[in-house]
Order: sequence, then structure tokens, then C-alpha cells
Amino acid sequence: MTSKLLRYIFILPVIIYTVFLIALPLIYIFVISFFQSDFYGGMIETFTLENYARIFDSVYIGIFIKSLVIAGITTIICILISYPFVLAVSHKNKRFQTILMMLVMIPFLTNSLIRMYGWTVLLRESGIINQILMSLNIISEPLSLMYNNLGIIIGMVYTLIPFMILPLYSSVSTIDKSLLEAASDLGASKWQKFKNIILPQTFPGLFNGALMVFTPALGYFFIVDVLGGGKIMILGNLIKNQFLTARNWPFGAAIAVSLVLITILVIVIYRKLGGKMDKLGDM
Amino acid sequence: MKTNKVLDNLIIFIVFFFLFLPICVLILFSFNTSSLNITFEGFTLYWYQHLLENTALLEALKNTLLIAVISTVVSTIVGTISAYALKKYDFPFKNVINELLYIPVVIPEIVLGISLLCIYTFMHLELGMFTLILAHISFSIPFVIISVRSVLDSLDPNIEKAASDLGASKLKTFFYIVIPLLLPGILSGAQLAFTLSLDDVVISYFTAGPGSNTLPLYVYSVIKTGVTPDVNALITIMLLVIFIVLTIATIISLRKFKKEVRG
Amino acid sequence: MKKIIIVLLILICTGCSNTKEEINVLNWSSYIPDSVIKSFQKETGIKVNYSTYSSNEELLAKISGAKEGTYDLIFPSDYMVEIMKDRDMLETMDLSKLQNYRNINPNYLNLDYDKGNVYTVPFVAATVLIAVNRDEVTDTITSYNDLLNPKYQNEIVLIDDQRIIIGLALLANGYDMNSVNENELEVAKEWLLKLKPNIKAYDSDSPKNFLITNEASIGVLWNAEAALAKDENPNIETIFPDEGFALSIDNMAIPASAKNKDLVYTFIDYILRPDVMKEIIDAYPYKNVNNMTNNLLGSNYLNNSAANIPDSVIAEGKFVENIGESVKLYDKLWAEIK
Repeated sequence: MTSKLLRYIFILPVIIYTVFLIALPLIYIFVISFFQSDFYGGMIETFTLENYARIFDSVYIGIFIKSLVIAGITTIICILISYPFVLAVSHKNKRFQTILMMLVMIPFLTNSLIRMYGWTVLLRESGIINQILMSLNIISEPLSLMYNNLGIIIGMVYTLIPFMILPLYSSVSTIDKSLLEAASDLGASKWQKFKNIILPQTFPGLFNGALMVFTPALGYFFIVDVLGGGKIMILGNLIKNQFLTARNWPFGAAIAVSLVLITILVIVIYRKLGGKMDKLGDM
Repeated sequence: MKTNKVLDNLIIFIVFFFLFLPICVLILFSFNTSSLNITFEGFTLYWYQHLLENTALLEALKNTLLIAVISTVVSTIVGTISAYALKKYDFPFKNVINELLYIPVVIPEIVLGISLLCIYTFMHLELGMFTLILAHISFSIPFVIISVRSVLDSLDPNIEKAASDLGASKLKTFFYIVIPLLLPGILSGAQLAFTLSLDDVVISYFTAGPGSNTLPLYVYSVIKTGVTPDVNALITIMLLVIFIVLTIATIISLRKFKKEVRG
Repeated sequence: MKKIIIVLLILICTGCSNTKEEINVLNWSSYIPDSVIKSFQKETGIKVNYSTYSSNEELLAKISGAKEGTYDLIFPSDYMVEIMKDRDMLETMDLSKLQNYRNINPNYLNLDYDKGNVYTVPFVAATVLIAVNRDEVTDTITSYNDLLNPKYQNEIVLIDDQRIIIGLALLANGYDMNSVNENELEVAKEWLLKLKPNIKAYDSDSPKNFLITNEASIGVLWNAEAALAKDENPNIETIFPDEGFALSIDNMAIPASAKNKDLVYTFIDYILRPDVMKEIIDAYPYKNVNNMTNNLLGSNYLNNSAANIPDSVIAEGKFVENIGESVKLYDKLWAEIK
């Protein structure tokens, strides 16, 4: 085989893949977001900005804001849980650390929907948590733990937390322990050590995790469906509805394009802060 | 270094409690005599037997595994070749392609799902196993590339040169020298592709058709109408398998770690 | 590597090829029990790929999104039949291939949405009614407006169906259920926003579960769902509100260019068999339209006021109508109240 032919054999798959399975579908979505929709499902191939104008309707702006807030809160809670956890794990010996990290992964290797279902068994009014709290006389009326924003955030945090724990853990484990010891010897307080050594060293992991939690949270319609009771909508549900019930593909495409723009914005910030793209998919 | 051990253990315990709570509930209810997952009424193994008669569930499981295996094999092969090509060769628009590869990693899955649905419709492809497998391949490849690339970057470029100096053809060098060296990256990429495929809800939701129900889609539909404990039973079995596989993997890596420490 | 690729190709081919006889059925969720599908497969050797939807709009989107011929049998309601007919989405139905067609109650044949049953065969009739758990709620409820009572905060489950829910908001305010008048729709929107704090969830697939588990004490739901909830808890009362209620007749229809037409007739005829229809009605007690099934149905169905709805009541039901392009008004309103 000549090396020229070999070269083509090596290069072709990645070109075909990126062109046909990434670029073309996205370009197509971009194109149809400027089409008109006829009533009942079809698309009319005339240029319009109507779909984008419609996004600025207060209803849809509301859904954008709500999605961003839910994703933001989810990200913050994931950070608040993961940080102490990862630091606590890193204080253990290496062997124990390996075992703990393996245990962390187990729940996430099962079906994510069935885990959401597990939460509904726990959270609903007749669910286990309310039953326990009522039998202990802590509450007299069942608490509304799901079919509201609280339920959705619990579901989001639960589903997305490994994407925060893993990068944080790998960045914490690169911290030079002797640096921390030296700091202690010099009389640094815990907070000083955290602020001056741990935090800067784990920034890359933190950003990586935040990105991998924030953007999926904008689109996970199934969590909202299961734990939100069909009365709360985030961008994911809105897009899904446009494609699967309202039959307005151009409008759905326009929302999807806006979602891509939000993602690009987040990525630009991530890169400005020194984040590396290769770290994102490396788990 | 002084650390507060009690606090550490407490934090670890609380997080694990949170992570395992819903799983334990599911396992518990798989042994429940009542078919409603509300209160535990008595112990039974009935659902494990009933599981074997639930053909829709078993077919969904079969489809899921078939899709995961095929898409993992294909995306691992394409991903490995691509990572190598991107490292070793220069070609037009290489930078653009490099950027495009991150799209499936970072954009919300729903965007990829609907864009594939649109392009399938545009090309008049019938939704089914084929479109589903293609979709899974397309979101897995970048993860394999990234994983292989991280090993590739740490590889000594002189090794390949030495092999060709000794008269090995490029292809031979690739198969007998490069691949074995890349194996850790390839395997972890394949593992990632496999797990992503097994659990994908969003992209499958848009790209599946009649007769290509996957386990996540099946669960999605029964969550709406009422989950029977045979689903819990299946999940319990799957957890057991995952636990065994992971334990073996951890033991192996701990042994290696021990050896490294000693040697 | 070649070998791997060949093996893969073989795997893919075996995964996708239709060597067996099979049909693709797209139906409402909670409509036909698994047991019926299983015994059909056993009896005929025809494999059924069964998938579901939860509203007529979702059905329409699925059919128009999929390649023609993807589905072989669907179950559209009255107004959706009209829409699909207008858009040439349905095949004509060859009634001569259906031996059991004569079993159908003539009251449900030859209706306005499909004169002469050219495209459809009726499956069941369904109404939307109010179900109240009398263990929790003792007030008299006769009108949709009674649901606005602030006492019922977070206590109501509604079906997730925009035409019906907006329609009942219009009825509650004395307007036509299918109004496309923007002012009237604005009033309906205000009404639904007032109802919002009382809504626990929207669920079309299995709203009965909310009543059975006591998650909600009032439901606005399909009659079979209410009937099943009543089976579990006899203290659930069903109410047909004064302002009127939605009626829907669901039909079997073959989408245009379905691939397995002959097999589909076998399936439709099987569904129309009295004993099979009994099994379906027993599992999901909608209003039976099969005359031969009537004498097979037990007291469970006959004495359940939510299941066996008298024809005189059915006659009062209001159909959702095809409103053409105005459906966009409904789409927007729906996003606003959710």
C-alpha cells in the first residue's frame, strides 16, 4: 500500500464523520430555523426571522430565564456537594480513594431514568420520605417535594453530579501534598490553605465540571417530565414540544440554535479562564 | 497534616447516602409483593421470574445491548484512526474539524438529537435500529478521540521512526507498535462509549423508530403509565453485574498500584 | 479489521432486516393491554412493534415526521381524522376485509368526521370528566368553576392535552369549546392562570395513579382512567360538569403508504373480535362501541358509572373540532399557562 493511499484511509473517516454527522445536521438546523412553518407540521422554504422574533415573546424569554436559573442552581449545588466530598476523599490513603471513587460511579452506570423513578418513590406525597417524617411526627402534612422546582433540581443534581466529582477529584489529586504541609508549617490557617493553594490548583477541574453540568441541565427534558409533573418547562421541553407536539420545526430549530449560542458563550468564558477543551471529554 | 477525620467521614457518608438512596429503594421494591411501588408489603422473588415473561422489556434490553456493542466497536475503530490521523497528518480544514469534534461533547444532547432527526427526515431514512446506531456512533466518537489523543500525546514519536528505520511498513507499525501502545486510551474510550450508549435517553428519544425500543426508552414510557417491579428486578440484576465487573477492575488496578509502589 | 467490519455488517443487517412478518402499531398509552398484543402474536405469528403517544398532536407530529410507511396502524380521534384526511395522510379502509366490522354499534358509524367510514373504524369512545375523591373533598362540585376554590391548592391533576384543557376553560366561561375568538381565549387563559395554584400535575398517560395514591384528590381525566381509579377506591365520584364536557371517538386508521396492509387488517379484525374487545375494555374501561362485546362484559364494567356511560350522556358530549391554522393560538396559550 502506498503511503499516499494510507494517508487517505486514515484521514477520510474523521472528515466523513465531522461533515456528515456533525456539521451537516447542525447547518441544516440552522437553515430551517429561518424557514416558515405552515400550520400542521410542514415547512415553507421562504426566509423569515419570525422564529427568532418569537423567542423574545415574554413567554419564551421566561422559559429561557427559568432554564438558566435551574441550570445555575444545579451547578452551584453540585459544586457545594462535590468540593467537600472530593477533599474528604483525598485525605484517605490511595487504595481507599480508588475504592471510594469506584463506588461513586456505580449508581451512574445504571439507567438514569430508573434512578429518577427511584426518586419519585422517595419524594412523592405518599412516598418514603414523607412517610418517615410523618411517622416520626416531624411534620403533620406531607411536604411537596416533587412536581415542583425542588424535585427538578434534586433530579438534575443527582444525574449530573459525577460530571463535577470526577474532574474535581482528578485536579485535587494533582495537588502537591508537600505544598500543603509546608503551608501548615508556616502557620497557614485552613481557609488560607484553601484559598491560596487548593482553590487555584483545582480551578481547571472546577470549570470543567461546571461546564459539563450547566449545559446538559438546559436540555434534560426527561428529568423535568418525571419530577416536574408536566407543568414546568425548560428549554429541553420547549424544543421537544415544538418537534413532537406543536409540529413547528422551524421555531424548535430557532430555540435549538439559541441554545447552541448559549453553549458557545459558556465555552468562550471557559477558554478565557484558561480551560482546555481536551479536558472536557476526558473522564 | 492534621485533618478532621470525623468530619471527613461524615461528608463521605452523607454523599454516599444521597447517591445510593434511590438505588437502594429500587432494589428493595424489586422484592415487594405489591405491584405498586408505594409501600413494602412483603418479600417475594416473583418479579424476577415475571421478568422473563416481559417480552417488551427483554426486547428493549436486547436492542440496547446490540446498539451499545455495535456503536462501541465502530466508534472505537473510527475514533482511534481519527485521533491518529489528526496527530500525524496535515490536511485542509484540520483546525475546523478539530473544533467541530467538541460539539457533541459540549452542546446539550437535545440539539444533537433533533438535528439528527431533521437530517434523517431530510434524507428519507426510516427511523429504526440503523438510525439509532448511527446516532450513538456519532455522539461516541469524540469521546474516543479525546481519550486516545491523551495517550497519543504522551507517546514518544521516535518509536515509530525507529520501527520504520528497521524496515517495518507504516501499516505494520500502526498495528503492531502504535495500537498496543495506545491500548489504555482505546479501552477507556471504548468503555466510555459503551456506558454512554447504554444510558442514552435524549438522543435515542428522537432517533428511534418502531421496533427499536431501547431500555431507557422503555423505562421512560412505563414511568408514565406505572412501573412494575420487574423493571426493578432487571435493574437490580444489572447493578449486580456492574458491581462485579467494577470490583474486578478495581482489584486489578489496586494490584498494579501495589506493584508500582513496591517496584 | 476487514473481518470485524464484515461481522459488524452482518450484525447490523440481522438487527434491522424484516425477515419476520411484522406490523408497526402506534397507539395511545394505556389503551390496549400487553396481553392482547401477546395473544395476537401467538395466534398469528405476526410480530407487533407497539409504540405509544399521549395526544392527537403528538400522533400527528410523529406521523408527519416519520418517513411514509413507517407506521401501519394508528388511533386518531375524530377531529384528527379530519385533519389527516385533509392532508392525504390516510389510506382508505377496505371494510370487506373486516369480518367483525358488523359488530360495531351503528351509533358510532358514519359520523361527520368520516362519512361512510371510508378511512376509519371506531375503536372506543372516551369522555373527559371530573373525578373527586370523596374521602378528601366533601363540597358539591357541579361546575368547572368549582375547581377554582383555593382550598384545592396543589390537589388537582389534569390531562396534558391542550385542546381539551383550553376547551374546558372556554366552557367554564360560557364560550364554545372550540372558540378561536382571541378575546374569549384571553378569558380562558386568565381562568387557567387562576386554576394554576391548584394544579398538582398534568398527566395524560396515567392520571389515575394520582388519585389512587392520594397524590391528588381531584382529577380532570379520561373516563377509563376515572373508572380504574374508582375500582381501587369506590369513594371516588365522577361528575359530568354542567357546562358540558369533551367527547372523543377514537378510531383505527391506516396511514398513507403503510407497508404491511394485509397484516394490519388481520390485526384490526382481531381487535374487533368480541372476546378481544372484552379483554381490552376490562383493562381500560372506555365506552364500548362493539355490540357483540356488550353481553360479555361483567358487572365491573356495567355498574361503573365512569366506564359504562349511558348513550344519552354520550350524546351530550362535545367534539373537539378541526380549527385549522387557529391552532397556533392554542399552542401559544398553552405555553403561557404552563
